[in-house]
Amino acid sequence: MGGLAAPHFKSSNMFKPFETISRSSLLIMVALQVLFFLVLWQLSPGGLIPGPIQILDGLGQLLATRLLFDNLLASLVLTLKALVYSIVLTLLFSYLSVLPFFQPMAQFLVKCRYLTLTGLIFIFTLLTKDGGALKLSLLVFGIVPFFMTSFLSVIVRTPAQEFELCQTLGYSRWQTLYEVIIVGKADQVFEIVRQNFAIAWMMITMVEGLNMSEGGIGTLLIKYNKYNDLPHVLALQGVVFGLGLCFDYLLGLLRHWLFSYTNL
Amino acid sequence: MTAYTKNDVLLQAKDISLYYDDKCILRNIDFTVRDIVRPGLQQGQVVSLIGRSGIGKTQLFRVLSGLQKPSGGTITVRERKPVESGNGSIEVWRERPVRAGDMGVIFQNYYQFGWRTVRQSLLLAARKNPALAGKEEDAIREYAGRFDITDVLQRYPAQLSGGQQQRVSIIQQLLKGSNFLLLDEPFSGLDICVLDKVTELLLQVSLSDELKTLIIVSHDIATTVEISDTVFILGKESGKEGSTIIREIDLIERGLAWRHDLRQDKVFVDTLAEIKGCL
Ligand SMILES: Nc1ncnc2c1ncn2[C@@H]1O[C@H](COP(=O)(O)OP(=O)(O)O)[C@@H](O)[C@H]1O
Repeated sequence: MGGLAAPHFKSSNMFKPFETISRSSLLIMVALQVLFFLVLWQLSPGGLIPGPIQILDGLGQLLATRLLFDNLLASLVLTLKALVYSIVLTLLFSYLSVLPFFQPMAQFLVKCRYLTLTGLIFIFTLLTKDGGALKLSLLVFGIVPFFMTSFLSVIVRTPAQEFELCQTLGYSRWQTLYEVIIVGKADQVFEIVRQNFAIAWMMITMVEGLNMSEGGIGTLLIKYNKYNDLPHVLALQGVVFGLGLCFDYLLGLLRHWLFSYTNL
Repeated sequence: MTAYTKNDVLLQAKDISLYYDDKCILRNIDFTVRDIVRPGLQQGQVVSLIGRSGIGKTQLFRVLSGLQKPSGGTITVRERKPVESGNGSIEVWRERPVRAGDMGVIFQNYYQFGWRTVRQSLLLAARKNPALAGKEEDAIREYAGRFDITDVLQRYPAQLSGGQQQRVSIIQQLLKGSNFLLLDEPFSGLDICVLDKVTELLLQVSLSDELKTLIIVSHDIATTVEISDTVFILGKESGKEGSTIIREIDLIERGLAWRHDLRQDKVFVDTLAEIKGCL
């Protein structure tokens, strides 16, 4: 494992199939590539498209006021709320899906991925009491089918051995459900949330455009878009991107911390 | 010759057959396992099913364990059952079809729940055993000490060696308390030192209770014959589809059971040759 042991940068390894490179090499490589890309971007004649320095400038202006912070907070709170509701609903319907009676409903929810939200906005408006509830219910309705799809496939892919061990230990069906699906798959629930968090994060900017009264990063984006203020739009885009990555990382950490056996 | 008698039937397979679609895998499988009684000893039973690879051992194993329903025939086990009588509860013997959960099953890959530590897995099994109620932790500590896994009780299965996993699986099924232990290829993939330990351990288990019955499915003839009292050979009869028991060898009659110094014995060598000839 020469590639792992050697901490120094060796460019010849970068082009070897299946070669593992050290963490520091990786960081140097990523930094260089990002830098190269940014320089290229700045130097290229973009016309209307702002370069990195202008975007950084825009970000500075955003950070100078409370505007960004307040709107981000509004978006985050809404996303987290939607996630909590979605997780609860997903788990409920997924656990129930092992009972034949609830199979059709679970399958229907999974298929709801193919429903486009835009056409349902009016119905949701009629069904909800205010803008906040509208946004939340749209988000949850958008997220749950994706969570369910992932989680049901985890359940379906349960190795027969897990059930057989339960059988040989004399577990009842309910005990088996508890052990294999509820306890045994808890770590995977985290992984699913992590992988599908992007969907929630992507949808948030969309639903916030529907109801601007409560603000949010989506509202900000739409405002700046209207004035063709591209440096600010792209700065916001960068913030959304960075926060998404942050969440991805944090959820990963949390999973390893809560379910230490997933590190093995 | 050691004094012994074969008494009650503990397990009976009657005319077992197994088909997949129209393909016959097993047919007309009949055998019984009787309680071997030796004066002054708690002598359990060690029965083995030997056959070459692909003959249907695993399928028979699954049928015996109750995990696979046979296409025809029945497996009955004998168990003590408390019944209410006029003056309190008494225990009577009764026979009934095998169910998944009756047998302690030790799978070939020693599968354990990846999300449970060894201690948790053992505790879950011990809680299934009414005889251990309230003493689960003590029982685990005792078995762990005896089988040398005390150090790994807090670990997850992925952190154990193959030998440790096997011992955990065996202890788990012992804690569960069923009299039957079914082992699928318990000797495969073990090096010589571990192999001796495992055979020693299985013999120890077979001597722990009069009714303990080990059923070993294996293709390692020598090791299996060394620790068994009876061998059933699974094979095919010419012109017939599906495997069945083609021979039963009573190793006690041949003076080969319950001994340690078999490898050089002429009868042992001849018996191995005989079994090989059947495969
Ligand atoms: N699910 C199945 N469907 C059809 N045939 C099977 C199935 N499982 C096993 N078999 C067949 O049963 C036979 C016996 O297999 P197995 O019991 O695994 O053999 P052994 O354990 O003796 O090596 C093989 O010929 C195999 O192809």
